[in-house]
Amino acid sequence: MKLKENISNQTNNPEQLPPVLKQLRKEASGFKVPDGYFYSLSPRIVDEIKIREHTSFIKGFVPALRKPWIWAPSMATVVVAVMLIFVVPAKKETVIPIADEWTEINMAYDASYAEEAILAESHSIDQELENKDINYSEPASLNGKNEPTKEEITKYLKEHENELLIEY
Amino acid sequence: MPEYTDNELVKLFRDADKKHYAFNLLVRKYQEKIYYFVRRMVIDHDDSDDVVQNIFIKVWNNLGSFREDSKLFTWLYRIAVNESLSFLKSKQLRSYLSLSSPEAMMVKSLHDDNFFDGPEIQRRLTEAIIKLPKKQQLVFNMRYYDDLSYDEMSKILGTSVGALKASYHFAVKKIEDFVTTV
Repeated sequence: MKLKENISNQTNNPEQLPPVLKQLRKEASGFKVPDGYFYSLSPRIVDEIKIREHTSFIKGFVPALRKPWIWAPSMATVVVAVMLIFVVPAKKETVIPIADEWTEINMAYDASYAEEAILAESHSIDQELENKDINYSEPASLNGKNEPTKEEITKYLKEHENELLIEY
Repeated sequence: MPEYTDNELVKLFRDADKKHYAFNLLVRKYQEKIYYFVRRMVIDHDDSDDVVQNIFIKVWNNLGSFREDSKLFTWLYRIAVNESLSFLKSKQLRSYLSLSSPEAMMVKSLHDDNFFDGPEIQRRLTEAIIKLPKKQQLVFNMRYYDDLSYDEMSKILGTSVGALKASYHFAVKKIEDFVTTV
């Protein structure tokens, strides 16, 4: 009880401090700081905050790179997006430009025309073959019609005598 | 520099455009009180500088979510107490590797300190404070140097007023004995 009263009296009243502490309280504590310390403290703290925020961003980012399940889906999305943006339009560019309507009509392929042409051609060949008497026993190039006569040979030699003599 | 109340500073800080401005004002308003409180706890200037920076970085990170059910000053002091104690704890852990105790290292640091130029009796007083248990150290510094009321100290430290009075009483007795002996 006595101790309790003593504590209460002493601590509620600063004058109850021992004389030595009362005296020392009036004096400076003796701690000094470098010149301009308090002037530069605030900017230094702001710089430190910026550094720590940058570091914490990197610290948060680097471990994520080591976990493929974190970055793989986003990476795949990016690849697909890049392909959609660049690769697909590039393919379209290689296609020949569509011709105008008139050219398109002229260039259009109609199978019935071709069929008709083939039929007409084969018909005319058949007709021609029917009209000719072909001797299949003779060679095709040396038949009677193709062979030059004696008169033709003599005439040719006379006409080209000089040329043949110069040549040989 | 305009004088803002703590509530005005907090409101200004919550405005994104004025956040940096408000923070600068807040640092300038409290830097000396916080610095000297930390310095009396950790003694060395460079260590104090690190701790003070950490305190204000914590303020920057958490002031946005500060609930105004306590005073800004009380909240700042609480951060300062926690940061100082966790620094001293880490220093104590490191001291297990060396042969000297953390208190002995701090006393040595006090004697070697270029930024301490008080009379011998002041050095002796500081030495006496270093030798106190951490809680008594905190209470003594807050009461003796910063003139905080027991109610404020109670809010900061989360301890009853009676317990704080007892701590202060024992701290004063020990310091008186140490300073007056020799």
